[in-house]
Formats: sequence, C-alpha cells, structure tokens
Amino acid sequence: MQIKTDRDARLGYWLILPTVIAVSGLIFYPIVYNLWLSLQEVNMNPVQPNTFVGLKHFTDVLTDSDFWRSFKTSLIFTSTTVVGTTLLGLGTALLLNRDFPGRSVIRGVILLPYVTPVISAVFGWKYLFDPVFGMANYFLVDIIHLLPQHINWIESPAYAIYAVIIFNVWKNFPFAFLMILAELQSISANLYEAAEVDGASIWQQFRYITLPELKFVIGALVILRTIWNFYKFSEVYLLSSSVEVLPVYIYEKAFASYDFGQAAAISAILFVFVLGFIMFYVRKVLEW
Amino acid sequence: MVKQNTILKKVIFIILLFLLLSFVLMPFITMLSSSFKPDREQGAFPPTILPDDPTIAHYKGVLNPEIFPFLMYFKNSLIVAFLSAGIGVVISIFGSYSFARLEYTGRAVIQRGVLLVYMFGGVLLVIPLFQMVTKLGLFDTRTSLIITYIVQTLPVSLYMLGNYFRTIPESIEEAAIIDGCSRLEVIYRIVIPLSTPAIVSVFIYAFMIAWNEYLFASVFINSSSLRTLPIGLNQLFYTQHYIWGRMMAASILTAIPVIILFLSIERFITSGLTFGGVKE
Repeated sequence: MQIKTDRDARLGYWLILPTVIAVSGLIFYPIVYNLWLSLQEVNMNPVQPNTFVGLKHFTDVLTDSDFWRSFKTSLIFTSTTVVGTTLLGLGTALLLNRDFPGRSVIRGVILLPYVTPVISAVFGWKYLFDPVFGMANYFLVDIIHLLPQHINWIESPAYAIYAVIIFNVWKNFPFAFLMILAELQSISANLYEAAEVDGASIWQQFRYITLPELKFVIGALVILRTIWNFYKFSEVYLLSSSVEVLPVYIYEKAFASYDFGQAAAISAILFVFVLGFIMFYVRKVLEW
Repeated sequence: MVKQNTILKKVIFIILLFLLLSFVLMPFITMLSSSFKPDREQGAFPPTILPDDPTIAHYKGVLNPEIFPFLMYFKNSLIVAFLSAGIGVVISIFGSYSFARLEYTGRAVIQRGVLLVYMFGGVLLVIPLFQMVTKLGLFDTRTSLIITYIVQTLPVSLYMLGNYFRTIPESIEEAAIIDGCSRLEVIYRIVIPLSTPAIVSVFIYAFMIAWNEYLFASVFINSSSLRTLPIGLNQLFYTQHYIWGRMMAASILTAIPVIILFLSIERFITSGLTFGGVKE
C-alpha cells in the first residue's frame, strides 16, 4: 500500500526546510558571496564598504609567481597522497582479507590514524620527525643508512613536503582500506575457486577477478580523495606551515595579510580547477 | 613442498603485518611513551621506546589550570561539539525522514543539492563565512562555530540516517497510521526508537568532526576563554612554555574521548559506511 497524500507532501517540505535553510545560507550563499568578494577590494573593517575592482584580483593572482609555486605544491601534494593512500589502502585490504586470529582487533587498530584528532596526531609526528632525537632520523640515518645525515623534516622547505605527504598518507589510507575491504568481502569465493580449477595464478586471479570488481570503489576513492586533498588545510598547516599548498596560501593571504579580495579570488580559481578536474575525470576516466 | 609453501606464506604475512602495524602505531607509541618520560629523557639519542623512569608529572601539569588552561579548552570543545552534534542530529532526523518516506515534487533536486556540498571544502567557505559572521555580530562567539559545524556534518548525517530509515519495514509505519498515529507520532514513537544505533552513530560522527575542527575555530574565535582544544594546543606549542612531555600528554588527553567514542560505534560505522558515507 502506497501512502501518498498532500498532507505528506506538505510535511515533507516542513521537515526538509531546516536543512534547506542551513545549506543554502551557509554553503551556497557563501560560495556566491565569495565570488562577489573576489571582485572587491575588501575593507579590513567589515563594517566599512568595499571598493569594486572588477577582475583585478584575478589578473594579479594569475601573474603572480607565488601563486603558481603554491599551485605546483598543491598538485604534487594531491597527486602523491591520492596514489599513496589508495595503494596502501589496497595493499592493506588485500593483506587483511583473510581469516586469522585477532583480525577484527587489527582492523580497529588500523582505523586509529583516521579517527585521531589532527592536532594530536600532528604532535606525535612532529616528535618522530624531530631533527635531533626523532625516530625518523634515527631509523633512516643511523640504522638503515639510507640518508647521510639528520634532516630537519618539519622546518626545511625542501623536506617538509615529504613529511606532510607521509603524514597525510598515514592519516587517510585507513579510509581507502575500509572501502576496499568491504568491496573485497562482497566478491563471491566461487569466482576464485573456478579460476583455481582453471589453473589461474594468483596474479591472474587478482588481475582478472579482483581488479575489475574493485574498479568502481577505487574510482570513487580517487575522486573523493582528490577533492578532499586539494582543499586540505589543517593536516598540512599544523604539521608544517612552510608547505604552501593553495589552502594554506589562501589562509595566509586572508588572515595574515588581510587581503580578503585576493584570497577570495584564489578560492574561486581553486574551486573552478577542482570542478574542471571532476568533470574531466568522471567523463574520461570513469566513463560514467 | 606444499607445506613449506604455506609456512613461507605465513612468514611473509606476519612480516608485512608487523611493518604495517609499526607504521600505523609508531606515532601513538611515541606519544604515549614520551608523555611519561621525564624532561631529561626527552632528547635521549638513540630514542628510547619505553621510558626508563616513568612519571605522571606531565599529566599533572596539563591538568593544572595555573600552568595550562587545558580543562577550559576541553570544556569549550565539549560545549561546541555537543551542541552542534545535538542540533545537527535533530535537523537530520527530520530531513532524512522527509527524504526516505515522504514524496513531493523537488525532493530529488534537494537531495542532489545537499550532496553537492561535497564539492565545497572548508577552505572555500572560510573567507565568506568570516565576513558574514563578522557582519552578523557573531565573531568571537560559540554560536558561529556551532552553526558552521552543523552544516558541515549535515550531508553525511542525512545520508547515513536516510539509508537506515529505509531499512525499517514500511508496513510498521503504515499500521501505526491506520491506528490513528500522525506522521510526526510515527517518527517519534517508531522511527526514532528503532533507529537508536544509527542516531547515536550520527551524533558521534558529528561530535568528532566538531571536536577535531581547526580552520573555522582559528578564525572565528579570538578570546582565550572561548578557544577549543585544537587552537589551544597549537598555541601552547608556539609559546616558550611548551615541553615535549606536556604536549604529548595534552595530545593524548585530547584524542582519548574521540577514540573511545569511535570504538563504541566502530561496528556500525564500518558496516554502514558505504561510498559517500563520510565527508572530511
């Protein structure tokens, strides 16, 4: 029996109203307002009026080498962490997709980085990366001799990006792991049994059964992680503010130099870039 | 031959598992151990894994309001996270019931509009929201943070609750309506009691997001007395009063509530979390 009345429809509107108000007032309106701000010289005092300057901020930003350096940092950071989190998540899921004692405990432990507050995790890693007594230097330099000397991971601009990438992969691979594991568990065991009867090697089973089944979830993970990491602020800024990805650049333009108009223009550019990426990816790579 | 092969496989498995767990746990082990190390042992080289001479002085320091207002920040985080999660849950119970059970024109459009929120990261919103918050006179108030966090968590809460509500047999609701219950009574008497685990999980998810948030809290709040934990801790690090052991103790105490909450809902989250079930 289908209950469908005018009264239900009216109630439906009332119940969704708070959501609609909140989302339009605090997400959609601000996005439009941000575009408006990007065309203004924004007064530091919010009560004072702004001056309209047209596309000045956009031409300034696009001809600023600092912006392009930051853009490049963002590209490096996002591409490496997307690959890193997805591959480590996949590897971990394949490793743990079997029965062994303590499996559910280990699964819970692996999720810890993902749920620990950024601020706590950041200090743990700062300690590990300490130039003098940190475990990272001790392991890489004094034990396995991979590097000739101790490195100031957090503060040196050349190395901080590595620290930030490692931290981001550590923090976010559990999400990929969880998604891929759930998908792996839904693949029917019959497929593997049949393949084994036909004499397929482990690699062939992975290539022709597992990977095709994972195509959708991996495609989704890549796009979500790309969006999230292009916008990632705290995980980068709190570990090392010398890694100037675009969100950090925007934050400092707005709240350290108080150049709100230009910061709004950079946000708009970042958004258009991410949007373009999503459209390209969905059409060409996922072929949806 | 076959047996040797399986033993080899087992050994490789254990080695890989060990490497993985070391990578995952190293920061936690370091934090825990140095939060119990006396100051002179902090800079020991090579670094010690277990403290030689454990002490709880750092925890005492963190909890002493004269040294560091940890408890005040903790309270502020608790208020903001509790209120935003509570209000958010109420809004999303209504919203997701509307999505899951009621039919009206425009429903699909609204649903897609809510999902669009995925494409707007916090950093795109922080400048316009800061301007709005200041113009509305909400700068340096908890309200500014609470309303921001509610909206940030709404899409996921709606998604998770909506999925759960759809698993409740519609016949139960219809029977109640035939018996004379109104839709609102159905929500209150049937849907909410049957969905308690989902509602608790959504509350905890929203609570965790608010507890961890740094970006908005760092620009909307100015007074020290309103700061949340992430801001307070980060500032402590850049003053001359920081010592590693105390930082670590504060970090552990900040993480513990969230980890406990997470472990309590892990089963639900990991089974109910399908594609799109979270937003960062």
